[in-house]
Amino acid sequence: MTPVFTPEQEGFREKVCALLCEDVVRAEIAQSRRTPYGEESGLLDVHRRLGKLGWLAINWPERYGGSGATIVEKAIVTEEMIRHGVPENVHSLGVDIVGNAINLMGTDEQKERYLPGLARGETTANVLFSEPDVGSDLGSLATRAEPDGDGHRLTGRKIYNMKAQHSDFALCAARTSTGPVDYAGITLFLVPLHTLGTVIEPVWNLSEERFDLITLDGIRIGREDVLGEVDDGWQVLNRVLPFERTGLDHSAKAERTLAALREHAPPGSGERLARLETRVRAARLLAWRCIANLHEGKPDEIHSATAKWYTSETAKEVSVAAVELLGPRALLDARDPDAIADGVFDAAFREAPGLTLAQGSSEIMLYFVATSKLGLPS
Amino acid sequence: MTTTIAEFFEGDLAPLVRRMADRPRGEGGDTDDDRRETRAMVWEGLTGLGALDDGDAAGLAELLGSVLYQGPLLDTLTARELFPDADLGHAPVALAAGSYSGQDETITARCDFVGFADEVEHFAVVGGDRSALVRAGHPSITTRRHEETGRGELHRVDFTDTPVTTWAGPVDWAPARVRQAAYLVGLAQAAIDHAVGYAKTRRQFGRAIGANQALSFRLAEMSMRVDAARLLVHDRDAAAHAAATLAEAADLARTVTVQTMQIHGAAGMRSDDDAQLYYRRAAAESVRLPQPQE
Ligand SMILES: Cc1cc2nc3c(=O)[nH]c(=O)nc-3n(C[C@H](O)[C@H](O)[C@H](O)COP(=O)(O)OP(=O)(O)OC[C@H]3O[C@@H](n4cnc5c(N)ncnc54)[C@H](O)[C@@H]3O)c2cc1C
Repeated sequence: MTPVFTPEQEGFREKVCALLCEDVVRAEIAQSRRTPYGEESGLLDVHRRLGKLGWLAINWPERYGGSGATIVEKAIVTEEMIRHGVPENVHSLGVDIVGNAINLMGTDEQKERYLPGLARGETTANVLFSEPDVGSDLGSLATRAEPDGDGHRLTGRKIYNMKAQHSDFALCAARTSTGPVDYAGITLFLVPLHTLGTVIEPVWNLSEERFDLITLDGIRIGREDVLGEVDDGWQVLNRVLPFERTGLDHSAKAERTLAALREHAPPGSGERLARLETRVRAARLLAWRCIANLHEGKPDEIHSATAKWYTSETAKEVSVAAVELLGPRALLDARDPDAIADGVFDAAFREAPGLTLAQGSSEIMLYFVATSKLGLPS
Repeated sequence: MTTTIAEFFEGDLAPLVRRMADRPRGEGGDTDDDRRETRAMVWEGLTGLGALDDGDAAGLAELLGSVLYQGPLLDTLTARELFPDADLGHAPVALAAGSYSGQDETITARCDFVGFADEVEHFAVVGGDRSALVRAGHPSITTRRHEETGRGELHRVDFTDTPVTTWAGPVDWAPARVRQAAYLVGLAQAAIDHAVGYAKTRRQFGRAIGANQALSFRLAEMSMRVDAARLLVHDRDAAAHAAATLAEAADLARTVTVQTMQIHGAAGMRSDDDAQLYYRRAAAESVRLPQPQE
């Protein structure tokens, strides 16, 4: 199952690596991990450089800022960005989730309007799904979209989203009708963020990147900003989800933390490291199996759930093991002058709990595999 | 006596104590001075209630873990065992572990991860065949606070030809390890209680998330593991197995707090939720004492 890359793809990976290893890029990445507390980086020069080359959203059509390449090249870019420590949430939210949804399901007008900026690394977007009372059970969301002329007015509260302060617009899920089935009647809207009728409040958290609480106070959205069909948001989500749930981001994160751990672990850690290494290799294989499925146009939900669960749990395990193996040195933040490995262990440890929650929690993946793969009663 | 101290921590003081050494970063809230005042008050309260002479040190340590107490008390107990003849009164002492060079009168050492270095009255410099007691506040001592996951009061301390008050032999880590293990058991229990409370009230899919056996069995399992670890730390033979018991309690505290985070969902990551506090503190406290050399 080891992914087989064409010589062109291998060559492309080398070019991406060469760019990410340039001194100025490395310095920028290191600096972005040392922003003053309470601030965080948005899009960096490295995003814009990749964007200029048409690599950031390389699988999108050229007229929208991509290079018309395949999902494999996109995955190579993602994998290398994370391996090299480029802060990736800002990119994955904008390009991999929102942009990808528009690319797959948007109208030509929407693509024209939103994709080029995202692909150039000049704009980004965020995702407004979760609400104070709505997490795993997205079908029960309470944000309402009331008809208003040929558009809608959105009212509700969205929380635990990230990067609103750097985003220009958001993909927002709201209820347009109610019926016997919860997830029917949800519509996805492309909404402006910095406008009258939306209030953004920071929700500070454990990780380097804050959450936001966003209040939508009757903001009006035109018909042209519905993604997909009204009442049919679930279809869009199902189409987009396999792209989000490849596990590649998590497997690359696990690789990065493990590489640093290998370098700093005390003598006597060999056996533990070997076991972690095997898990991380398996994680990568599961992730690339999902990429291969997508490449062949055959997304597989069970493969996606398996990859999401395994890769995120593995990344978390590596981060916690680092504390155990390295002791207090692992706790030093990038901002401490004596931090080892640029503070990667502390950052990974604080990011770890979120990995098994966001994009479908571990329990939801387990439930899906138990019922759909194993056929156990629900 | 532990009962009186438990009463001391009840009520309004509890949330203040849990965060009395937490330094939020760029998020507003109480200042360092407010927190330091709380710590000083808690020290007065604890020593006034006889915490330094408590016959049941493991019971006390477990209680401190359960309220997420952060301060020099456990270090001070170890220092008092090490220097039984020194006249320490009720003074707080920090253990400073690291390699040092020293003649008879002075010591030179660099020690990392020293707790509460800016508010103790003495340091017990440990790590070699001998241990040195030195007075804090001497100009030859410099401190710098670490930026670290626990966001607590851990410092690098440099001693340069610092006068030594008293010398002693090497530290006996066994009682300190048992106390630290007990602290972690208390912390793990508190984290479970926090997760159980949330699992009962947070609803998804039309029912409490704790109604799902995926979560309730996991909580039950951790509760049983904590029960077992608690027997280990209070066992008559605890000191004989101190390192192994501490390793178990450390692993347990990390595991429990990881699960507490998971059960809380994104809400547990919020700075104003205690789940992330337990998670960070478990990391810091689980590696607080030097590992036994293999
Ligand atoms: C780092 C991070 C980034 C995020 N970014 C965004 C974003 O950009 N936009 C956005 O909209 N949201 C975002 N979220 C929110 C994310 O979508 C939610 O965390 C996720 O949907 C889970 O919801 P919850 O956290 O409210 O947990 P809950 O749904 O409340 O669940 C709590 C716990 O119970 C478990 N559980 C729930 N139901 C069951 C069941 N039936 N059986 C067993 N266990 C169950 C869950 O797995 C979890 O462990 C982010 C979250 C994190 C951690």
